[in-house]
Amino acid sequence: MKKILIKDFGSDDEVLSPLNPEDLLPIPGENLEDIKFKKIKPETLAKYDFSLDGFSALSLPIPQTKEEEEAIVNSFLKGLEKLFVKENNWGFLQPSVLSTEYCMQCNTCNEACPIYVESGRKDIYRPNFRPEVLRRIYKRYFSTSGKLLGKWVGADLELNWRVVYHLAELVYRCTICRRCASVCPIGVDNALLSRELRKIFSQEMGIAPENVHRSGSMQHLRVGSSTGMNPVAFKDSIEFIEDIIEEKIGRRITIPVDKEGADILLIHNAGEYVSWPENPAAFAILFEAAGLNWTLSSDSMGYEGVNYGVWYDDVQFARVALGQIKAAKKLGVKKIVVGECGHATKALVSIADRLAVGDLAIPREGCLPLLESIVTSGKIKFDPSRNNFPVTLHDPCNMVRLMGIISPQRNILKHIMAPGMFREMPNCGVDNYCCGGGSGFAVMNTQNFPNWRDNLASRHKARQVLEAFKDCLDPSIPKYYCAPCSNCKGAARDSLIEHFGFREKYNIIYAGLVELMVNAMVDIPEPFISWEEEF
Amino acid sequence: MDSLTWFISGPLLYIAVITFVVVTGKKILYFSSMPRHLRWDLYPVPHQGPEGSKYQKVDFSKLKPQVHLMHELWEMGQEILFIKRAFKNNPKIWKSSFPLHAGIYLCAVWMALVICGAIVELAGIPVYKTSPSTLAVVLYYATILCGVAGAVTGLAGTIGLLWMRYFDEGMRDMADFITYVNLYLMLLVFGSALLAWWNVDPGYNWIRSHTMSLVTLKPVAPDLLIAMEIFWFSVFLLYLPFSRMLHFVAKYYFYHDIMWDDESMKPGSKLEQDVIASLHYKLNWNAPHITSDAAWVDQIPADRKEEDKK
Repeated sequence: MKKILIKDFGSDDEVLSPLNPEDLLPIPGENLEDIKFKKIKPETLAKYDFSLDGFSALSLPIPQTKEEEEAIVNSFLKGLEKLFVKENNWGFLQPSVLSTEYCMQCNTCNEACPIYVESGRKDIYRPNFRPEVLRRIYKRYFSTSGKLLGKWVGADLELNWRVVYHLAELVYRCTICRRCASVCPIGVDNALLSRELRKIFSQEMGIAPENVHRSGSMQHLRVGSSTGMNPVAFKDSIEFIEDIIEEKIGRRITIPVDKEGADILLIHNAGEYVSWPENPAAFAILFEAAGLNWTLSSDSMGYEGVNYGVWYDDVQFARVALGQIKAAKKLGVKKIVVGECGHATKALVSIADRLAVGDLAIPREGCLPLLESIVTSGKIKFDPSRNNFPVTLHDPCNMVRLMGIISPQRNILKHIMAPGMFREMPNCGVDNYCCGGGSGFAVMNTQNFPNWRDNLASRHKARQVLEAFKDCLDPSIPKYYCAPCSNCKGAARDSLIEHFGFREKYNIIYAGLVELMVNAMVDIPEPFISWEEEF
Repeated sequence: MDSLTWFISGPLLYIAVITFVVVTGKKILYFSSMPRHLRWDLYPVPHQGPEGSKYQKVDFSKLKPQVHLMHELWEMGQEILFIKRAFKNNPKIWKSSFPLHAGIYLCAVWMALVICGAIVELAGIPVYKTSPSTLAVVLYYATILCGVAGAVTGLAGTIGLLWMRYFDEGMRDMADFITYVNLYLMLLVFGSALLAWWNVDPGYNWIRSHTMSLVTLKPVAPDLLIAMEIFWFSVFLLYLPFSRMLHFVAKYYFYHDIMWDDESMKPGSKLEQDVIASLHYKLNWNAPHITSDAAWVDQIPADRKEEDKK
């Protein structure tokens, strides 16, 4: 395998560190020779940069003139300088400065990173590689010692447009799962530095993945949802979900929308309405049966729970978070509950807490504790024997490692699963692995990036799922991969099901936690979950 | 030569100690005065105790924050004394890193014992194996034990880490020049300490006597090997606050101010006042979707709708 040193990061190789199928660590039953990456057309290769690893997440146009090359470098340096100025980055200044200055290069983070390990340990995917590039550039261009002494003080990387482009792509090879930070003896957060670098590209250079920025957070702020769903379409989708409920349980439920003064404003990831409507349907069934005083909002900032800004841009993050909180204030609800979406929960409940000043400090919670309270309150009768099939649980990084929500979902499963049917994955809880869709990957579908994501980013999750079900892989046994997070479900759909073929090979389906809960409800005549129809 | 050894063992050491204290203090002030950042906690957070995260509770914002100080101290103790995370996640490096850090701790205790011994001697009680004071005898042997054990384990750990930097491919590839500078400096500090002990100062009487002269602000010129030991220690102190070896200070902020910072926003709190002040900072990011030279508070959606439509 080609060795890549930091000082070589700006080399003009056609592809600096190509990822080939044979480099990957195979999962059980997989033949790496069957993997075929999408061929890129010559005209596309001539136009866009694929020179990091042969993949493109950003569709960066190759500069055509010296002036364009210089503009890229200068703009990056301006952004890098701003990253360490409190007016521009007060929200993450202390963590950024500390993580930039105090890495001891011990590589402890390396083996914690599923992408690095599953790639066959390619140098560029080390979690400390990209931050080290940042450190050496910063030292070279912004420290007196670096300017004077260069490599003798660790400033051994000369900046050119290729370094900037390689780095821009490389920060989108990290899912920001923060597993690396959780093992660092010092506490250095190399995942945070991936995010900080993404901010330079977005906030200064206007570079961000199409699906995350333009048709993501910008569309969210403009239309009401990153899915493109406007408030009218949202109301239509509610009617559609009421139809699903009627079909599934034999009676119609009216889903409350814009109910002023409700106890709870429930905000789903709007992707649920489009891709997995059974999920909001299951929430509605449970909330209605539990007698909760709740509502959805049709305000243009009130029905979409995602906050893509959390992955790449503080300004977009703040706009979305405060918009969501203001929508709740308009309705006069007592609190916001975020549905099954990890990053949305983390963004609104935790990170945005330090933006919610004055009358914006409205209580916000994740849905799992509320769901647990429904189960333990006895308001709904559950028959665990209805869930008499093997289930494993995915721990979304944002809810578990980043918020410590570990026991509610397990307590729920204890109450609703037939004995012996729930099994933990290896490395569960705060030690979990990302689904491969984290930090925007689940929605990034331009160029050949999905090839990289499905083959590499989700590979370790595929390995974990197979390990969890190793005693029952026979396809005659239906199995359920429970992922209480929309993005994690997106990754499961694209990678585990479509790419690795887990449904076809092993009869594994994926969905959320609420679907399992409704499936176990005594009052529901027919099974809510089906292995036969598209779920 | 005497004037050189006098300068090294007196004025240079004073300058090094003062520089270390002042620059480290300035760094601490710098880290402490940074704006309160957005929440970026990482779990488990030990002071939340066996119940774990408050996010696991319904209406958690109405609950009193759980503070289990003993849990936090237990976790801190394991990390500070034994580098628990390295032991758990990178045992290969821990085998060298732990002796290096244990060596530093033991040398710090040794220094404290040497200073204590100097003060005891200034009080008229000889610190020696035949001293009439039992306490002074204990002090004498404890000083030897800590000094020798510290220098030996520190040196062994440093050699182990250097070995890894040269012969472990990944460690070598990710290291910059400064990493080697740091390790060779540690080698010189521990090595010169051992050399002086072995050759001229087996009972640390010389260094204790020299410390007495330093404490009374009348430094004398010691033996050349002791002057070398002091020289490398002084260089280490002068360099330390400017280097990444100051991570022992940074580590406090990483743990307490970032990973374990779970303070919630409360109306009227100091936190709220700090955040309001930060929201009024004017940013000057240049991307088209950002209003440059406007405050953070002016970037919110209601005010941006028309702009976003561009």
